[in-house]
Amino acid sequence: MKTAQRASALHEPASPVVPPRRTRPARGSRRSQWPGAVFITPHMLALALFMIVPTVYAVYDSLHRTRLIGGTTYSGLANYRTVLSSSQFWDGVQRVLLFGVIQVPVTIAIAFFFAAIFDAGVVKFDRFFRTVFFMPFAVPGVVAAMMWSFLLLPHFGPYPQLLKAVGLGDVDFFSSGLITPTIILIVIWEWTGYNMTILYTSLKAIPREVTEAAITDGARLSTIILRLKLPMVRPAIIMLLFLNTVGALQLFTEPSILAAFQPQAVSFGFTPTLFVYNTAVGSGDYNLGAAAAVILALLIGVLSLAAFAVRRRNGEFR
Amino acid sequence: MSPRRNTERRATASTREPRRRPGGISPRLYGLPRGTTTLLTLISAAFALFILAPLVWLLINSTKTQVNVYVTPGFWFARPFRLFQNLADLGRNVSGAGVYLRWLGNTLLYAGIAGIGSTILSAMAGYGFSRYRFRGANSIFYLVMSTLLVPVSAISLPLFLVYAKVGLVNSIWGMILPSMVSPVGIYLMRTYIDASVPRDLLDAARLDGAGELRVFVRIALPLTVPGLVTVLLLTVVTVWNNYFLPLVIFSRNSLYPLTVGLSALSQGAETGTKANMVPVLITGGLVTILPLIVLFLLLERYFRGGALQGSMTG
Repeated sequence: MKTAQRASALHEPASPVVPPRRTRPARGSRRSQWPGAVFITPHMLALALFMIVPTVYAVYDSLHRTRLIGGTTYSGLANYRTVLSSSQFWDGVQRVLLFGVIQVPVTIAIAFFFAAIFDAGVVKFDRFFRTVFFMPFAVPGVVAAMMWSFLLLPHFGPYPQLLKAVGLGDVDFFSSGLITPTIILIVIWEWTGYNMTILYTSLKAIPREVTEAAITDGARLSTIILRLKLPMVRPAIIMLLFLNTVGALQLFTEPSILAAFQPQAVSFGFTPTLFVYNTAVGSGDYNLGAAAAVILALLIGVLSLAAFAVRRRNGEFR
Repeated sequence: MSPRRNTERRATASTREPRRRPGGISPRLYGLPRGTTTLLTLISAAFALFILAPLVWLLINSTKTQVNVYVTPGFWFARPFRLFQNLADLGRNVSGAGVYLRWLGNTLLYAGIAGIGSTILSAMAGYGFSRYRFRGANSIFYLVMSTLLVPVSAISLPLFLVYAKVGLVNSIWGMILPSMVSPVGIYLMRTYIDASVPRDLLDAARLDGAGELRVFVRIALPLTVPGLVTVLLLTVVTVWNNYFLPLVIFSRNSLYPLTVGLSALSQGAETGTKANMVPVLITGGLVTILPLIVLFLLLERYFRGGALQGSMTG
């Protein structure tokens, strides 16, 4: 479920949104401009109907209470109070925060390491490696989680068997203590290549003269990568930090597939999105589910504002 | 970026990229200790192994029987060779969860229509924003750009709430229409048209008496084909891999796309007692990812080269 969001980053990292340039009126500028409005109308209509209307309706739903007898009544913030006082909800929030604090930096660090050494040209067959690393992007989260479930299956999976063979004993990757690290492993498998591709492209955009000057000054490769190039791709890294964090907060696919294999390891509110899903779709409590969804969306909104502010301070946004 | 440079870039991108690009810096200049290249290559190979292992496992185990998936070594083949039997099982309702081929058809349908639709809508909107200066254009464009940061999955539950109200639950249009909305597509097409559709060309066509729609279809669109392919691919991959939206809005298994169907199967495979579901699950997983991997290997430059570079020049 992260795909759509992250796919948008393909076009984002190196160039912040460019405001429409106020260009000198071109020849023939006297011609009417209204066809432009006609061209954008279908997409804007779809955007309004399938993005803005649902969002507004979810807020409306979250402020009401539907009972079998008595119908729908305004209930103020009661649903929000119920969600915020639910220990299951906070349990999930805590888990995705912990998950994100580990997964996001690790993913980006590995991605940057490979992007930097491929960019420097100090690895043989780097083109082959770049293709392979990016391949999980084409694998749906459902299939990725399913494959890993079999690979890590206690007793039967090849990886636990391997660990046993080297003397580490019976490792249960689905036990309540290891389930979060297991999901981190799966998500790293899924997204490192994508992050690497973004960073690689940003690194490639650095003029070679910069690197040449550093070499002439006698800088070591590690210095060039960490002190020179890393600061130059900061915008891309901030964008990736944001996208990965939003993805982490919305964690859903992987735990819900693992739940099929190990129901006891993944609870009702294992992640906030699972809480939303189980409340609204599972238990049919639309109002409560909507309130939880709005809280989650607000959390993400605050994050995007923060990311926006950081980029703005750096002068990358307008 | 002029359209001409653009063509040149595409021409070079389609030829095989040499390992050391002429503009690259020779690694010898870094004065690295001997063996560094070998060491870094080995580390890269180890990570490649980590990435490839699950895919290889999937390929190997799609040839096995249910029992052999568990009791034989995961990374090697075992007799009997059941690949064709397993593939045939994809057309049967082995579990009562539904028929895999039906899901494959659904995914093709949803991804196909949504892909074409979002490409057309994005091209039109991108063209409107790029080549006209009507009132409110800037503010609307900023509004679109702000939705770029809204995760699609965050919209899924609100969509479900609306559908429950208006009776769009279990309707294929409930899946297809929202998937056509693509702020990324608008942004990408606008950037692309800014860079590769000269205003003078459009004006010349207008002087020749062509109407606005004709100018768009006959002059502008042919110049934006690489951009169109990128938007199409992005939408297809997004819809193909989407799990949350179809999971929320479909309750009938005959409407499931592959992702939701496979997840229903996996629940049955692990908790149920029905025979022979694991091979269907594994072979089904393989068939799910093969089209995308092939598409990706064939059109890699659109996936990353084209897509990423398109944004650099914006």
